[in-house]
Amino acid sequence: MINIAIKDLKIFLTDKKAVLLSFLLPIGLISLFAVAFGGAFKNDTQRPTDLMLADEDSTASSIALRQKLDSMKGLNIIPVNKDEGITRVESGKSKGVLVISKGFGKAVSSNVNPPLHLYYDPAREMEIGILQQALIPTLMEYVNIESAKQAVKRDISKNFQLNEEIMAGIYAKVEEFFASREGSSASKSMDILELTPVIKNKKASWGLIQAVAGVAVMMILFSVAAIGSSVLEEKESGTLKRLLITPVKRHGILLGKLLVALILSTIQLIIMFVFTWLVFGLNILIDIPSLLVMIFSTAFACSGFGVLLAAISQSRKQVESLSVIIILVMSALGGSMVPLFIMPAFMQKIAIFSVNYWSINGFYDIYWRELPFNEVFLNAFVLIGIGLVLTIISSLLFKRNVLKVS
Amino acid sequence: MIIVRNLSKSFGSITALKEVSLEIRKGEFYGLLGPNGAGKTTFINILSSVVSADSGSIFVDGEEMDMHTTEIKKKIGVVPQEIALYEDLSAHDNLLFWGKNYGIPAAELKQNVEQLLHITSLENRKNDKVAHFSGGMKRRLNLACALVHKPDIVFMDEPTVGIDPQSRNKIYDILQNLQKEGITTIYTTHYMEEAEKLCNRIGIIDHGQIIAEGTLQQLRKMDQSTESISIQFEKLMGEQKKELVEVFGETTIVNGDTCVISTYQLDLKLAEIISKIDRIGLNITNIDFKKKSLETLFLNLTGKKLRE
Repeated sequence: MINIAIKDLKIFLTDKKAVLLSFLLPIGLISLFAVAFGGAFKNDTQRPTDLMLADEDSTASSIALRQKLDSMKGLNIIPVNKDEGITRVESGKSKGVLVISKGFGKAVSSNVNPPLHLYYDPAREMEIGILQQALIPTLMEYVNIESAKQAVKRDISKNFQLNEEIMAGIYAKVEEFFASREGSSASKSMDILELTPVIKNKKASWGLIQAVAGVAVMMILFSVAAIGSSVLEEKESGTLKRLLITPVKRHGILLGKLLVALILSTIQLIIMFVFTWLVFGLNILIDIPSLLVMIFSTAFACSGFGVLLAAISQSRKQVESLSVIIILVMSALGGSMVPLFIMPAFMQKIAIFSVNYWSINGFYDIYWRELPFNEVFLNAFVLIGIGLVLTIISSLLFKRNVLKVS
Repeated sequence: MIIVRNLSKSFGSITALKEVSLEIRKGEFYGLLGPNGAGKTTFINILSSVVSADSGSIFVDGEEMDMHTTEIKKKIGVVPQEIALYEDLSAHDNLLFWGKNYGIPAAELKQNVEQLLHITSLENRKNDKVAHFSGGMKRRLNLACALVHKPDIVFMDEPTVGIDPQSRNKIYDILQNLQKEGITTIYTTHYMEEAEKLCNRIGIIDHGQIIAEGTLQQLRKMDQSTESISIQFEKLMGEQKKELVEVFGETTIVNGDTCVISTYQLDLKLAEIISKIDRIGLNITNIDFKKKSLETLFLNLTGKKLRE
């Protein structure tokens, strides 16, 4: 028994790369998820979150509120008009727009609920929830204090006939008094902010889109990795050498592998979407051309990844280890495992280098945002670009690494 | 048909081939004999355009290999040393796949496939997955896949390694038929009996160099060692023993009733020996020959046994 264990340990230790991967892979993934879910570099490295603000009131009160929001740590106010802001939310470019509607100043001075609206993308509900938690105390504080201030000033000016100089002095004292109370008086009331989801396809569930798109891309990556592995299997069995003996061109071998990966991935993706349609009711019929373009481009980019894996590896064992690492990392970063918006901003920036990001985004554009074909195509264009770059790199490495026979 | 000039190839500090030159005529069955690591497979890999040579040139039918690789590849069939087949495909599908790579018209390919399945006795198992085949069946299919496009030239790299005698004999039959059809063949092996049985001409390779080349007879002549004949007589008296030594020379050993006569080219001298014994008046009861073989020649040339 001990002899068998020692023998297996010896065999395991002979493959230095496998040993390294066995220990480094879990450490790497723990680190990645820790960073992704905010456990590691909390707060101090977080970039301020962007919030569009449309001020339709343009009174002293609304301007003061704007300035107050602008001074908030962790918030970056982007001024827009209401329609522009809502369009950006609709197209998935922003999570929400805060609108200070007409009559805000008047409502504040009359001590009634002021018209403050937050139009948001429900696909980013969690992100909006966090934002709401940060906004409401500030809004409440501002509105409460401003209303009280206005009421005091109104009472003084109504009940006492004082000259302007004395009035100014009293007002300054009032301002000073309320300034000292800032940060202590805000009572939280969710009613102050009226939340309006911006959604075109009322029947779609973003969770369902996230599930099908996220899982589909990750699964396709695993499938194409297996096809990549078959290249190395051919090398090990001698059939690759035999292929080199035939008049088949060397790049033809790589393209043949790419083609099979492309065909199988396309079929797999179609089956996954049809299944989601039939069983879970995702209406894939709303934009068939966009769906087909996204499926093809996703399949192409994933296939490029599959052949790249084959080109950079020396053995099937290596493909298997590498593919697990790369796919898990890419899926975690690209939004297959968890929605992107709950990750720190810098992680979201890194995500654009993954196939998952563009693919998931494309499917959101079709079924959630219902964007026109030309806007969905941007994602497909990037995916095809990724596929092409990966194929060219693979082709160069393939000749050097895989097709070398000794 | 095939001319190889000054072919050299090194892998790092290891010289696999050193200035190898040879000519193989159309229809010839050329055997390349050498121990493991002698350079046989590298030579075949270079001839098959899988590996490029460091220097030297190869001409096939007067065309230089480097300049006309695709055209020449279509004329060549290669049986690799390893069984290079798709185990999850059937024998029929394997043949079809390899044939298609040569761009043969579908009808012709279908005919070739059926013919080869018949020749290799795999007809009854043609739709079975190769994974379920015995080693011998795989070897036969491995050979058939190299012939599916009807090549003019076939390179075979130890095609009978590790198979049962029945399958080996089947392969020999196929190879002899190829010879009759006038297919030019280069055959590497370290089985002497194969080389002796199949090859018109043999080259002996060691440490990447051709150290001897010729027909079997020519190679035997190169062997400086002697052959011997051991003759057992009915009864040998003292005088008769002396006479035998006098007639056949001092190298003759007489032990009991047996006499061992050593000579060069035993084939030519056998009649003379028998006639001299007859003149002495001795009755022969048994004769045993010890002839020169490739094995002994190889041992003399390289100082090692072929299968080391």
